[in-house]
Amino acid sequence: MATRAQLGQLSPAGSAGAEALATGGALSAEGPGRPAPLQDETLGVASVPSQWRGVQGIRRETKSCQTASIATAEKAAQTRKHVDAEVQTEAPVPVSAPSVSPHDDPRLAAFLRRVEAMVIRELNKNWQSHAFDGFEVNWTEQQPTVTCLHTLGYPPAQGEGLHVTSVSWNTTGSVVACAYGRLDDGDWSTLKSFVCAWNLDRRGLNPRQPSAVVEVPSAVMCLAFHPAQPSYIAGGLYSGEVLVWDMSHPEDPLLWRTGLTDDTHTDPVYQVVWLPEPRHSHRFQVLSVATDGKVLLWQGVGAGRLQLTEGFALVVQQLPKNTKLKKPPRGETEVGATAVAFSSFDPSLFVLGTEGGFPLQCSLAAEEAALARMPSSVPLRAPARLTFSPHGGPIYSVSCSPFHRNLFLSAGTDGHIHLYSMLQAQPLASLQLSHKYLFAVRWSPVRPLVFAAASGEGDVQLFDLQKSSQKPTVSIKQTQDESPVYCLEFNHQQTQLLAAGDAKGTVKVWQLSTEFTEQGPRETEDLEQLAAEVAT
Amino acid sequence: MLGLGLPQRPPLVEETLKRIQSHKGVIGTMVVNAEGIPIRTTLDNSTTVQYAGLLHQLTMKARSTVRDIDPQNDLTFLRIRSKKHEIMVAPDKEYLLIVIQNPCE
Repeated sequence: MATRAQLGQLSPAGSAGAEALATGGALSAEGPGRPAPLQDETLGVASVPSQWRGVQGIRRETKSCQTASIATAEKAAQTRKHVDAEVQTEAPVPVSAPSVSPHDDPRLAAFLRRVEAMVIRELNKNWQSHAFDGFEVNWTEQQPTVTCLHTLGYPPAQGEGLHVTSVSWNTTGSVVACAYGRLDDGDWSTLKSFVCAWNLDRRGLNPRQPSAVVEVPSAVMCLAFHPAQPSYIAGGLYSGEVLVWDMSHPEDPLLWRTGLTDDTHTDPVYQVVWLPEPRHSHRFQVLSVATDGKVLLWQGVGAGRLQLTEGFALVVQQLPKNTKLKKPPRGETEVGATAVAFSSFDPSLFVLGTEGGFPLQCSLAAEEAALARMPSSVPLRAPARLTFSPHGGPIYSVSCSPFHRNLFLSAGTDGHIHLYSMLQAQPLASLQLSHKYLFAVRWSPVRPLVFAAASGEGDVQLFDLQKSSQKPTVSIKQTQDESPVYCLEFNHQQTQLLAAGDAKGTVKVWQLSTEFTEQGPRETEDLEQLAAEVAT
Repeated sequence: MLGLGLPQRPPLVEETLKRIQSHKGVIGTMVVNAEGIPIRTTLDNSTTVQYAGLLHQLTMKARSTVRDIDPQNDLTFLRIRSKKHEIMVAPDKEYLLIVIQNPCE
């Protein structure tokens, strides 16, 4: 039937296999009469041989090509005469207002005559206008509260119960380093300590794993990052040594050290500061301050040694007598220095905080020789110019205002902050912040009226003198069990960050709210007004 | 021309500038020529050069903005108010007068 008709069509194509398939199907259909619809049967293998290769065949031909020969020739050249010339860039001459040739003046006069009336009118209107009173524009996202961005710690140091004695931000503002030591040890200590640095801009920051760790044989009491090199950091030790490390070389970080010579401090170094050299302002020296009464300036020379270039010694007999001080017990003539701050307006002027509780105004340019009996390779000078009225206990921290040339703050163990002016010995204001010690005080780098203080009660207090001069604007609780906060530093590049280290061995990086980071319109004037009115 | 001494500056220029400078709250006054080079100033060199360069560019941009919107219009005065003070620029074909004032708040 239909199957048979299909057979006839398929055979002329010459496909033998297809025939076999169809035959098999037809046979079974004719078998028992009616075809069973769902019956199993096996069919032969159907194969279709390929035809295309046999039909086409392959034709092969051999061809080759060759580049024509290249012509070459040898030549030589030699300069017969040469001339040397040097090029040197000079410092750019500042563009000064050129003097106008005389025939321009009539045109200038005419112009001024035309615009003067309009400008004076606008100036007057401006002076009396209230159009912009209270008008403020928000350019950046507002941060309403203070939040803790990072909590950093180094478990081996925390396991030994070490405190964070000092924190420092580097010059790019992305790395924070902390020093581990103990601040309540009275004895000579052989405790090993660490200097750890975290790079906050790196992805995958692990708060328990610093990006660089340096092991130091003695307790580190203070740290300071280099103002130009992002990886150089100086530290002062409990043993009186001053070391400089390069944190970018973890296997051999020590760059320079003072060693234990006659020049080195004999008491713990409480603060180190980098100073520009007087003649080469791109090179820096390290100034160290210790309780043996010496203030020493070190320069890194070859072979990893720090050499003493200048030195000052504080002796009680040479202190300026403008303030009456308690007579020291017999035999003690040195005045131990515990803190130093340089003025941002006059680079040779600095303020020292002392163990006796009185700040001293000093100058690097002082000439008078010190009456110290300490051996030294460089003649020691007496730097003090003015003695300020004392606190009730030793001073732990001083800070000079970056906005006003005469104001500085000092914080001491009596829990008070004194605001001094360089011009008078009595403090302008005295604020009690804590019933325990105050360990650090710093002016804010962006807001002239704001400063932060670290207290022994475990909190960081932020003061805004514009809002209230009696109590702190914000008090941030750093430690839960009231263990003291020993150090704090503002980040000068990212001004909303504040790092504080405490006795539990953690460094917390706080992000300040916008009110602490944006300068108001008249703050510098308000600061000057404050200085002037409190002084009278 | 051979002269017997320095040519006398017309007093009008200095007087006018002094009058403007002594107005209430004025921090600084300067005159800049058409190329953005300061001719007269009461501020220090580096600040003057900075203000002159930046404000000259801004004034040209402001003028072209006004004229693009309406070719019959032209810029007569430019004021920039910032958090700390107000900068006023009086433009002209050949000169710019820049006055910086600290308005009383």
